[in-house]
Amino acid sequence: MRLKRFLLRYYPPGIILEYEQGGQTKTKSVDLLDLKPETDVDAVLDEISRKEPLITPSRMDQVRTLIKKLQQKLAATDDHAFYLFKVLRAHILPLTNVAFNKSGSMFITGSYDRTCKVWDTASGEELHTLEGHRNVVYAIAFNNPYGDKIATGSFDKTCKLWSSETGKCYHTFRGHTAEIVCTAFNPQSTIVATGSMDTTAKIWDVQTGQEISTLMGHSAEIISLSFNTKGDQVITGSFDHTVTCWDVRSGSRIHTLIGHRGEISSAQFNWDCSLIATGSMDNTCKIWDARTGQCIGTLRGHEDEVLDVAFDYTGQLLATASADSTGRVYNAVTHQCLMKLEGHEGEISKVCFNPQGNKILTASADKSARLWDPQTGKCQQILAGHSDEIFSCAFNYEGNTIITGSKDNTCRIWR
Amino acid sequence: MGLLALLRKLKSNPEKELKILLLGLDNAGKTTLLKHLASEDISHITPTQGFNIKSVQSSGFRLNVWDIGGQRKIRPYWKNYFENIDIVIYVIDSSDRKRFEETGEELAELLEEDKLAGVPMLIFANKQDLFNAANASEISEGLGLGSMRRRWQIQPCSAMSGEGVQEGMEWVMQTVNKK
Repeated sequence: MRLKRFLLRYYPPGIILEYEQGGQTKTKSVDLLDLKPETDVDAVLDEISRKEPLITPSRMDQVRTLIKKLQQKLAATDDHAFYLFKVLRAHILPLTNVAFNKSGSMFITGSYDRTCKVWDTASGEELHTLEGHRNVVYAIAFNNPYGDKIATGSFDKTCKLWSSETGKCYHTFRGHTAEIVCTAFNPQSTIVATGSMDTTAKIWDVQTGQEISTLMGHSAEIISLSFNTKGDQVITGSFDHTVTCWDVRSGSRIHTLIGHRGEISSAQFNWDCSLIATGSMDNTCKIWDARTGQCIGTLRGHEDEVLDVAFDYTGQLLATASADSTGRVYNAVTHQCLMKLEGHEGEISKVCFNPQGNKILTASADKSARLWDPQTGKCQQILAGHSDEIFSCAFNYEGNTIITGSKDNTCRIWR
Repeated sequence: MGLLALLRKLKSNPEKELKILLLGLDNAGKTTLLKHLASEDISHITPTQGFNIKSVQSSGFRLNVWDIGGQRKIRPYWKNYFENIDIVIYVIDSSDRKRFEETGEELAELLEEDKLAGVPMLIFANKQDLFNAANASEISEGLGLGSMRRRWQIQPCSAMSGEGVQEGMEWVMQTVNKK
């Protein structure tokens, strides 16, 4: 094994080691999820060199510089106020979901008008219209970090794979017998997973367009699907009140997370794949040990359905969105409720952190999106202007641009 | 009602819920009718660019009523909503005689839809409060409703005043109970 070079990852903080082994170039990541601007650099260095044989004494100075650089990035305070940059009369019918590519240079919008559109973030210009679906385009995804492909899942029961550069359709994945409502690429971008109202999820080969496996076992609609960071496991959340964790390679079930007393709304892994958080119509959120499948905490407090959950990029905080018009911030490890996010005047259907972890974005039926400080629980800004409820929202990786998709047929860019 | 709620409404529980589709040309009064059903204020209604959904309780059933925008350019998308429909309510502006032909054509297309085959249809001859409104039998004859191969009913009404709306909904409830 020979170390070739270092790559820096800002969010979540980490150093990627590129090395040679048996003539092949491989990478592994040293995660520094607990790194803070004030952390003692020598202590971090000691720990890395103890755990990581590739980091030899001759490399220590280099690593020290990288850690300092990460700390600088973490210490940088960004208190700029977002303003409305552009209103895109994006579609002739309501939008569904929105998503950025990794660099944030492009984003996509799905719609009831059966198209998905690709947009240039800097200019707000439409780059491509992905046409071909025969019903609502509901689920959309970029194959981040690459960003050269887009998957669209539709109520027409098919999923299509497109080139984000040319807008050309590579494959149409056929096989589901009801609406496709969630889709994701694995981080390696070799497979696409789809979840459907037909109670199954399917795994498809990006290269050949063939079905690899069908994940069967849920007794009701699958409405949430996500890969872990490594890409070897996928979790599906269902209206049958359970979440199932699947082995991607074999298509077999690893665990079923049983305990919620209502439909699942969202299920997410944290970064290091140790925890799974689930939100449910039973007004609670649960935290599960991803290795054993045991429930290790039930987060109570919401007075109505929990509609979305999101970990911050390091996996230390968890934010929830509820039909009770509030959000909450929990410590993902101690399960303590840290903050209540109060101010929305309608249900909150989406919540996400910025990659830096110092802002929470919520989208609500009250036609506004709001930004919150997770440390104080204070609302920092109200993004007002949509004329109907907001269905989806996203931050770019830099954390300096926001897109919101609404039932009012528009998409707004805020920066 | 976020995206998730829309998914839940896609699949209604057949024992306790009914999925009702409200269609018709733009300005027929679909949204006013919907708001009337949900006992909401009807003074500020703008053309529907997408859809509105309301749930109302009626004799032990939960009625999920989907009001779909009727402008010409978005009519091709009505098909998006045809899955698992229990009742179609077709709304006609009885005072707009110039558009009877257009509304008749749209209705004829709906009647050809496989996914709506056999689905009972209630036709609201709306805007009966206007002086020039055509009456129900005039519309029924004009549109040739008699040849429809399904259970149907035409009901004169005024979504503004609410007159006739209840009678129409009673037909809906009787019809589903017979299923």
